[in-house]
Amino acid sequence: MIKYSKNFVIGIWSLIKGLAVTIKYCFRPAVTLQYPTQKRPMSDCYRGLVGLHPEKCIVCYQCVKMCPTACLAITHKLEDKKKTLETFKYNMELCCFCGLCEQVCPADAIVMTKIYEISVYDRKKLDINLLDDKKYDEWTHTTIK
Amino acid sequence: MLSILTIIWALIVGIIVLGFIAASAMFLIWWERKVSAHIQSRYGPMRVGWHGVLQSVADAVKLLLKENIIPAEADKLVWWLAPFIAIVPPVMAFVVLPFGKNLIVKDLNVGVLYLMALSSVSVIGIFMAGWGSNNKYSLIGGMRSAAQIISYELPLIISMIIVAMQAGSLSMQKIVLAQAGCWNILHPNMAMAFIVYIIAATAEINRVPFDIPEAESELVAGFHTEYSGMKFAMFFIGEYTNLFIISAIAATLFFGGWQGPILPGVVWFLIKSYGIVFVLMWVRWTFPRLRVDQLMGFAWKILTPISFVNLAITGWLLLK
Repeated sequence: MIKYSKNFVIGIWSLIKGLAVTIKYCFRPAVTLQYPTQKRPMSDCYRGLVGLHPEKCIVCYQCVKMCPTACLAITHKLEDKKKTLETFKYNMELCCFCGLCEQVCPADAIVMTKIYEISVYDRKKLDINLLDDKKYDEWTHTTIK
Repeated sequence: MLSILTIIWALIVGIIVLGFIAASAMFLIWWERKVSAHIQSRYGPMRVGWHGVLQSVADAVKLLLKENIIPAEADKLVWWLAPFIAIVPPVMAFVVLPFGKNLIVKDLNVGVLYLMALSSVSVIGIFMAGWGSNNKYSLIGGMRSAAQIISYELPLIISMIIVAMQAGSLSMQKIVLAQAGCWNILHPNMAMAFIVYIIAATAEINRVPFDIPEAESELVAGFHTEYSGMKFAMFFIGEYTNLFIISAIAATLFFGGWQGPILPGVVWFLIKSYGIVFVLMWVRWTFPRLRVDQLMGFAWKILTPISFVNLAITGWLLLK
């Protein structure tokens, strides 16, 4: 009988403690982020889409050689014994976001951006020309109605 | 001429009551989602209207447009009637709820008895849904509901009788008027009766922690597994109307009903009722579900003896 009453009291006390915890949480601010309108900033080492600073590029072809999935393709032309970029193609469909191109680049020309909302309706859009200034406009200015 | 006026008057009252039921059920569904979300550090519905207030309207439209699927082997008549029988008792209970001094559909002199009778009828709808669906989960849900409601009826009724004894009347309006000086909840024996009432009433309307008739993890959705579209919505509206009604009865019997200073009676009544609804929601999102045997043991070994002892003590206090 004593054990039974003791359990009864302990049980009721634990129920009250549970109620106290939930009411405390009820009036705390929610932790949810309203995703399409609010976005969490990405960390410094986040590896999103590949970006390029064309003025820094010395056309050494290190990134093309290093890329494990062969998603980068460069062509160049010689002007006064100096190499200049002609095309810089990035096939996002193949990219594995390993970041090796960024690591190997001696001029810090190729970088990993923080863009991660990268779904498209057309497969052709996955073939990106990195020399185009407006290449990522579609993804960086996502507007939700 | 008089009879036509009476019919028109009855129609107007009926439409007001039905409108209040629909609006209240929608509000309660939205509020429940909000309370549960905030208890779990979430926002809940946010997109439809201000903080998602119109979410329930959107859901209701969705349910209206959905297909009504009848299971092939169902007992068609029973299956069709069940949602109506489940929703009619909560609508009928509005007859005796005193919203204000003169704001009551009909002050029956057997008001409390009438409510007790109605609370037993709603189980028939649930059991019919379980039987008619011809589905083992639904049937188990319906049987559990019947067993549970029969067990919890006893402490519920006894705690309501205690209030009627104190007031010396079964009429809801007279019970409210008897609490003019001091709310019933302030007497220790009445406070005990209130605790027993609120536990038994939670079990009566199949809410967590007594929701074994529709325990998701064991029975899919219990008695309404096979229902879709508007039929499901009717069970849902019935459930939330029941939630409002037990809170309104608690407010009337124990918290002085519509009586209160400054504000009009209706406002006091709604504040008290929705306050008790909030407590029930708080309880729902805190406690885990009971097992069937624990549930039955709790009703027969703890609640019923307590309410009988309370009845005896109240009788002694009245005769003293």
